[in-house]
Amino acid sequence: MRRRRARLLDKLKGRFQNEFSDLRARDQNLKNLAASQQGDSEISTDDAAEAFLTLEGITKCFGSFKAVDDLNLAIRHGEVFALLGPSGCGKTTALRQIAGLDQPDAGVIRLRDTVLVSPADDVFVPPQHRNMGMVFQSYAIWPHLSVFEIIAYPLRVRRWAEADIDKAVREIIGQVGLSGMEERSSQTLSGGQQQRVALARALVYRPDVLLLDEPFSNLDVKLREQMRVELKLLQREVGVTVILVTHDQVEALSLSDRVAVMREGRVEQVGTPSQLYDEPASPFVRDFIGQTTSFPVRFQGAAAGGGFTAALPEGAGTLTCGRSRLDGTATDETVLACVRPERIKVSPAEGPPGANEVAATVKALLYHGDRYECWLMLAGREVMIFAPREPWIREGGTVHLQFPSEALSLWPR
Amino acid sequence: MAALSRAGTTGGAPQGRPRRWFRWRPGPVLCTAVLAVMLLIVLYPMLLLLYSTFLVEQPGGGAEFGLDYWINSWGEAGMGLSIWNTFKRVIFTEIFAVPAAVLLAWLVTRTDLPGKKLVDAFCWIAFFLPALPVLMGWILLFDPEYGLGNQMVKAVTGADKGPFDIYTFAGMVFAHLAARSVAAKYIFLAPAFRNLDSAMEEAGRISGSGPIMTLRRISLPILMPAFLIMLCISLLHSLESFEIELILGPPTGFYVFSTKIYQVINEDPPLFGVATVLAMAVLISLLPLIFYQQHLSSSRSFVTVTSHFSSNLLRLRRLRVPVFALVCCFGLLITAVPVTFLLMGTFMNLFGYFNVPEPWTLEHWRSVLSDPPLIKAAVNTLIMGGAAALIGVVWYSLVAYISARTRYPGRGVIDFLSWLPASLPGIILGLALLWTFLNIPLFRPLYGTIAVLVIALMLNSISTGVQLLKGNMVQLGAELEEASYITGGSWFYTFRRVVLPLMAPALVSVGLLTFASAVRQVSAIAMLVTGDTRPLSMLQVDNMVDGSFEAAAVIGTLIVFLTLVVAAAARVIAARLGFSALAPSRG
Repeated sequence: MRRRRARLLDKLKGRFQNEFSDLRARDQNLKNLAASQQGDSEISTDDAAEAFLTLEGITKCFGSFKAVDDLNLAIRHGEVFALLGPSGCGKTTALRQIAGLDQPDAGVIRLRDTVLVSPADDVFVPPQHRNMGMVFQSYAIWPHLSVFEIIAYPLRVRRWAEADIDKAVREIIGQVGLSGMEERSSQTLSGGQQQRVALARALVYRPDVLLLDEPFSNLDVKLREQMRVELKLLQREVGVTVILVTHDQVEALSLSDRVAVMREGRVEQVGTPSQLYDEPASPFVRDFIGQTTSFPVRFQGAAAGGGFTAALPEGAGTLTCGRSRLDGTATDETVLACVRPERIKVSPAEGPPGANEVAATVKALLYHGDRYECWLMLAGREVMIFAPREPWIREGGTVHLQFPSEALSLWPR
Repeated sequence: MAALSRAGTTGGAPQGRPRRWFRWRPGPVLCTAVLAVMLLIVLYPMLLLLYSTFLVEQPGGGAEFGLDYWINSWGEAGMGLSIWNTFKRVIFTEIFAVPAAVLLAWLVTRTDLPGKKLVDAFCWIAFFLPALPVLMGWILLFDPEYGLGNQMVKAVTGADKGPFDIYTFAGMVFAHLAARSVAAKYIFLAPAFRNLDSAMEEAGRISGSGPIMTLRRISLPILMPAFLIMLCISLLHSLESFEIELILGPPTGFYVFSTKIYQVINEDPPLFGVATVLAMAVLISLLPLIFYQQHLSSSRSFVTVTSHFSSNLLRLRRLRVPVFALVCCFGLLITAVPVTFLLMGTFMNLFGYFNVPEPWTLEHWRSVLSDPPLIKAAVNTLIMGGAAALIGVVWYSLVAYISARTRYPGRGVIDFLSWLPASLPGIILGLALLWTFLNIPLFRPLYGTIAVLVIALMLNSISTGVQLLKGNMVQLGAELEEASYITGGSWFYTFRRVVLPLMAPALVSVGLLTFASAVRQVSAIAMLVTGDTRPLSMLQVDNMVDGSFEAAAVIGTLIVFLTLVVAAAARVIAARLGFSALAPSRG
């Protein structure tokens, strides 16, 4: 892992020549990046005072279809904010309202103290006066211009002096790693190069906000991973506020400081990636992000040492669950116990099961290379876990599953 | 065009303060205006025509509502027969043309036939060749008296009568086949054939069927939707044919509905009642075909292109050279042969007579080129072609923009109206416009001016023009425009630096195509032309009807030259468009 990171940094060295003092600084940067993915970032969740861009009650209908329904967001300066959701959830529509490419039917969007749009007050700042940058899903690379001219376009709009344009364009071209391609026709560019050009065009005039609409969906997997790191480092370097629209949870979790999960035009939950993963606020968020193993249990009430007790069916044992999303559930009512599959520990079935441990039969093992996808029969239900490659895990054999109580949560059926 | 949705965005307020964007909403207003004009020039004339068939003129003046025209018109000699003749001629033509076009398209796209570009070029030239000049060439070859083909047969066999006669039903079918009938179908079918994933064919071959069986059992069923659309379009186009029947029909008393309408309108007094009833009867019988074609085109069920398709070509082996020779002969037959004879005709002292003392002369060129009517007609052609092209491009782009880029509620109607004229026989369109211009006091002053012709010509090309521009706009994608707004470009800056450069080649190419089709057009304007506004194409018709074949040949040569040069320019520009790779390359 370390070596791979070092190799990647070597590659990046050429691209970000002037900003970082040495390789170590970059390493630190990557560690921060990794840290923010782990979720221990210091950003507090609910502090609207420092909001940079706010959406209040944004609603947009297409005919009778409510694409965006009373959307409220507060985005902070310098953060990477993702709108995550399945296709058709209104995330791109929301982005287009922010950009000014569409007008909302109701609501207010503010950038700092400036009202960008408010249909009630008949205020609408057209996109060209919002000072935002955007990378479109199709990249929208103008086919009749060269790479240099495409990137210089926003500066020519702003009537910069020729010398300044030249300097700024060459600098950003270096930053996105396209040096030497200035005079190439845009029609000869590969997908990854087109994306770099689109990114350079969106950043060259130092916009307040960078909007990314499914920026990686047209790239193949390898290139996608590479562009993800590059974008993150570039964002740190430039310090621009980024709003990212994506349906890819890996993209959202790995790139963003905060994520808003959207569904049917509404926000389900806003939080840091780790909050969304570990403490989903709704069944939708729980199932949409990551994998969940769930099985029915009978609710027994609060446990003595904290948490809640739940009994497995067929007398297979009881479990202590750390968290509960239940509300006024009666004892013995059937509820769902949910756990991320990677939190379940597998051990050989030796002796009687311990606390929060259950015996289960292995039904099928699907080989993944570094681990098994293991399907087990647990109290009459099929559940999936990830199991290490151990000789004692065999199809048809019995194993013990240990559920850490802090990883278990109870949900209504 | 982008002006529609984004006009009035230039607010000069300083950065950082709330700005009011004074939204003059031109979109709905302009869209409604376009819709109104389309209704007025497309639908209104048709409805007026229908209405007039029920309005019976009374001997004492005035008109009464009644079915008299519908009942009495059928007593007019040759009415029912002309409809029967129309369908008979079309069916006999299509029986030969459709298989020939399918075979040709298949040979060019799916086999290793050599010289494919040549075949392609032959078909495109044949497609753009005006029907009348080509017909002149064939008349010179197959006229029963002086036709060169007949003379050769007579000289060889010593018979006193040649075997060929172009003034017959068979001659008419042949003239259609040798004109654009096959070429037009080929041009439509070839792209669909080319995009067929050859894995499907290969699967058929591996399962044990031969190439012909594969074509019949696999390729054709997959291509069926595209094939059906082609069939509908070519049936509609074949049905509206006018010029060939106008020249070849009357000598033997053979009338199709279009020439019948033309005939009764030119009688004195003109039999408007009969003409309109005939037009409506034909139109009503065509309606199922028109709507079936619309249904097919809009269902888009014929996407045969897959992302990773391969097109392995069938090897013709021993047949390669013979098939190539055959295809080349056909290509020459529909292009070079008639044009050569047409050209020859312009230099002949007496059309078709080689045994006169001095068969060759430049006299026709000299006299025709200095003939005031010809110069006037040439000027008329240039004016109306140019005007139709200019106005057409602006109008087509408005219509295309509305249907491709806006959410205007009436855009479906606009779309339908832009597509309808292509399905209407030119002679009916012309008749309806004539009726409109004569009956609406507001428009009456326009009758007899070139403006009427320009409207007819513009309508005549509207479907093609709008389709081409719409395709171009869809391909360009709204994001190319939006990217400019986001980066700070005003509407006008965006239009100048992004929209216009990207659209310009398509606009020029559509303009040239409109011009080329205006120059050769006969049927749509035949009713509307007066002595002063007569263009070259109608001058040629009049000369041919009068039997001045030499002058007609010279004019025909001029028309061929004009159309081919302009159409070639349009093709070159369209090819240089080169923005086919506009979509981002994946991966």
